[in-house]
Amino acid sequence: MIWAPVLIPALAGLVIWAVGGGRVRLGVLGTGAALLTLAATWAAGDATGGFDWAGTLSLTVALPPMAQAVAVTTGAVTVAVMIFAASHEEEAGLARLIGLLLVFTGGMELVVIASDLLTLLIGWEIVGACSWALIAHHWRAEAPGRSATYAFVMTRTGDLGLFLALFVTYTATGGAAYADLAALDGGPLTLAAAGILVAAVSKAGQLPFAPWLFRAMDGPTSVSAHLHSATMVAAGAYLLARLHPQLAPATGFAPAAMAVGLVTAILAGVAAVRQMHAKKVLAGSTSSHMGLMIAAVGAGFPGVAILHLLVHAAMKAALFFVAGIAKHAAGTFDLREMRLGRALPIVAALAAIAALSLAAVPPLSGGWSKEEVMKALEHAGLLSAAAGILAGGISAAYATRFAVMAFWPDAPRGETSGRGENAALALVGAAVVGLSALWFPPVHDAAAQALGATLPEGSTAGLVAAQVAVALGVVTGLYLARNPGEAPEADWFGLPGLIDAAVTRPALAVSMWASRVDDGWVDKVVTRSATGLAGRATGADTGWIDLIPRGSAGLARRMAGGAQRSDARGLPAMLSDGSARMVGHAGADAGRAQTGLSHHYYAILVAGLALAVLFLIFGA
Amino acid sequence: MLTLIVLVPIAAALILALLPGIGARSARATAIAATAISLVLLVVVWIGTPGAEGFRAEAEVPWIPSLGVAWRVGVDGMSLALSLMSALIFLAAAAWPIELDNARGYYAWVAFLAGVSLGLFVTLDLIVFYVFFDLSLVGMYFLIGRWGHGSAQEAALKFFIYTLAGSLLILIGIIVLGLSMPELTFDMRAIIAETPLDPGGLAAGLVLLAFVIGFGIKTPIFPLHTWLPPAHVDAPGPASAILAGVLLKMGTYGLVRLPLQMMPETFATWALPIAVVGVVSILWGAIVALAQENLKRRIAYTSVNHMGYVILGIAVAGSAAGSEAARELALTGAIVEMVAHGLITGSLFLVAGAFWQRTQDYDLANYGGLAGPAPRLTALATLAAFASLGLPGLAGFVAELHIFLGAFGVYPWLAAVGLLGILVTAALFLVMLRKLFFGALPPKRAGFTDLDRGEVAILAVLLALVVLIGLWPAWLISLIDAGGLLTVLQGGG
Repeated sequence: MIWAPVLIPALAGLVIWAVGGGRVRLGVLGTGAALLTLAATWAAGDATGGFDWAGTLSLTVALPPMAQAVAVTTGAVTVAVMIFAASHEEEAGLARLIGLLLVFTGGMELVVIASDLLTLLIGWEIVGACSWALIAHHWRAEAPGRSATYAFVMTRTGDLGLFLALFVTYTATGGAAYADLAALDGGPLTLAAAGILVAAVSKAGQLPFAPWLFRAMDGPTSVSAHLHSATMVAAGAYLLARLHPQLAPATGFAPAAMAVGLVTAILAGVAAVRQMHAKKVLAGSTSSHMGLMIAAVGAGFPGVAILHLLVHAAMKAALFFVAGIAKHAAGTFDLREMRLGRALPIVAALAAIAALSLAAVPPLSGGWSKEEVMKALEHAGLLSAAAGILAGGISAAYATRFAVMAFWPDAPRGETSGRGENAALALVGAAVVGLSALWFPPVHDAAAQALGATLPEGSTAGLVAAQVAVALGVVTGLYLARNPGEAPEADWFGLPGLIDAAVTRPALAVSMWASRVDDGWVDKVVTRSATGLAGRATGADTGWIDLIPRGSAGLARRMAGGAQRSDARGLPAMLSDGSARMVGHAGADAGRAQTGLSHHYYAILVAGLALAVLFLIFGA
Repeated sequence: MLTLIVLVPIAAALILALLPGIGARSARATAIAATAISLVLLVVVWIGTPGAEGFRAEAEVPWIPSLGVAWRVGVDGMSLALSLMSALIFLAAAAWPIELDNARGYYAWVAFLAGVSLGLFVTLDLIVFYVFFDLSLVGMYFLIGRWGHGSAQEAALKFFIYTLAGSLLILIGIIVLGLSMPELTFDMRAIIAETPLDPGGLAAGLVLLAFVIGFGIKTPIFPLHTWLPPAHVDAPGPASAILAGVLLKMGTYGLVRLPLQMMPETFATWALPIAVVGVVSILWGAIVALAQENLKRRIAYTSVNHMGYVILGIAVAGSAAGSEAARELALTGAIVEMVAHGLITGSLFLVAGAFWQRTQDYDLANYGGLAGPAPRLTALATLAAFASLGLPGLAGFVAELHIFLGAFGVYPWLAAVGLLGILVTAALFLVMLRKLFFGALPPKRAGFTDLDRGEVAILAVLLALVVLIGLWPAWLISLIDAGGLLTVLQGGG
């Protein structure tokens, strides 16, 4: 049953939200639902399915190996997120949080199993809507609601690209399946590929959409962990990898993907290095690593991107859990206020492992998959290889800085971590360590074969350069941790301010202007032109035929006069007067157009009008 | 059968109008019963004629043979779907709890309006259509003028005069259509089969213009929409739900039934400008709505936006360009949008009515944090808002997807520009939700009460249908049978 990975979490989420309960019950139910989802993704195998949705439009799904790997990862991360959320988050609203996280998982699984653009779009937007509700979870505060709107509108801007790709594909081929996408060529293919690329980079927090990811940090930590490791953000990178065979022939797709990915990888890394807010460091890091994955797809190695996505999911979930626990103990997300090594020794140890993996230090899993990405980039040319190596070095710097600032041993204080939090962290920590087996050739060859992925060959020089960059990054990170300096004045080098000034505020200004024009000008032009037109026509009309309509026009005028007296304002009176004349004109026109039974029509017309006018007079 | 559907509510209205002793509760019960009977009868017609093509449940009683006017009723998929939706909206509006003076009169007008509105959708005679079109104005005029608030008289008068001017243009068109038939008749079926004004010259073009302006005022389309916001703002909640849910559909239904089906070749000549008007309405409605700080004005302007989608769909369907599949998609989308907008915007206006009932205030700035005291209201309003902004899994998406899929095959650039509308609607609804429900609760809203059980039940029924159509629209699409509608069109033209 290939639909099970979608239906189980979605329905379970709604039920759990509805029945509610205490922390333990919600944790058990949520974890149970997540485990079922995980089992379903595991069992679904290489299945396909379809649903006769709307007559000519069907929804189709499939689970090729690469998709299944992501589906399983999403299920597994959900298990850890459920355990963490149930023990870490406030009890108030916990049922809603657990429920929506599960629905969110269902939406993501739909994105993963989709095998046509329509199914994809449905899952894609449901994921966006869930993220809105989840970011706004702490709705009593002012910021989360605003940030949720920001995130949804920003990502929906990208979604327009997916709409466009769907329309282009459907119009050109009469279908929306991924196979139909492959049948495109020339202009339509370029357009569809561009649309999909825009949609993917907006979800994946790439430039210029990246700032929404920082704003999304106003959501609860469990939401951030889920969003960044195995849902929403990961969906962008997954989509490009999944559709690589169809998109690669499109003109300009590969260079565009590489450019966006690598520029974001470097700039988001720099943004992360400067951050003092623990979760925003991780948010920048996510943008950066998604950029590396997208660049790997552009370089022609979608399988490498997927492998890095899996490894990244484990370490990023771990680091968000760590950040949440540290915030709880320190009372703030400010890294300068933490130094919790003595208070949280176990958490500190696990954080160190995850951070070193994120820094790509061998023999941890992050080191292997990032090295594969570097080799893939080497295939694309020297410049992209250099950019990748630079991004890798920056990654090592912020990962080191994060772990050292958060967990430098200092006087113990604050609360310790809960058992559920530790369990969740241990799970993903074990995954980080376990995945390190990928360093062994038999293991990574088997993984590549199972996924149908090609692993790139790299040069020794590239390997050495990357390791040197990582080493330099770690040293830089240590230095920056000891000398944190001041927090940056604006997130993302002021990009949000630029978007605000260049897009949001002008859009609102246009909206205000349109509203004023609508109230004044549009209303007046329509009524005045009707009045003027009708007035001229009535003046030109002569003869007996005018008598009846004139009579009714007179009646209507008297009515208008009444309205004027009662309202003592110009507009309604002018309106009624104008329409009264228009009535006269209409009657006259109808008369000229016909012969024979015309008096009957007049009777109908005048009777209808008189009735209406009588109603009006007695009613008003 | 269909005659009964019209007569039962009108009879109920007469009883309510003529028997002075009826109290508020029995008046409400009478209106609920009458609209419920109509709804049940419509469901019987629907179930009783599975897979029927063309018009079904037809009946005819001669009336004025010398003029070719008769009491003719019958429904096809489009009118049956719209009648079902309308009957449900009327039932919801009648059942919606509201405090009133002279409840007997109010419910009499609601029942009357239900009868004439359903009559408009089920009649197959153009003159009867016109009569119902005008009578619906009268009913709504009184609901707004007598039970509205603020400057209700002024708003009602503006509504009346705008739409009356439109209806007179429509009457001229109807008369010309009837007279152009070889043998004088106002039988819609005969005129659809004959398409007497095609291929169109200047006269046909003018008749089309009359129809487009006439129905365009009612729809409403840019720039003929300025009567709509004041009418909504000052109307009682349930009347707003009827106005948006049912009365606006008369404009778009009329556009399909009359110009599109009765003069398809002329329509095709002018399809592009009509599509442009649709896209302008989409964008203008959304952009102006974004600036509104009044809850009801904001929702009212989204109607202009949504009706713009419908106009775009209808224009594409009648364009005679692109593939037949694309045109069928567009027409399917337009009709689904009519149904979906009725349910969704009907719900949103009922929600607005709930606000007025509690606070007599529509200013968004005076709200916030209502998710605390009113979680049920928050959940249902959020669902309706997301449906309105076109979230997949809800009915609005199905409609907009079909319209744009079709439009892209015929007018790709227009469709691409119109697509921006879904972004603006997302922004405007999310901002609205945030201002109403998130943040701190203002002290003066401390006593705000959540929806009661009756209100929840009514909204739940409407929104359950929105979810059902969104998750599995196949049944509605097969009921509408837009393909059949287009085939008839080509057979005639």
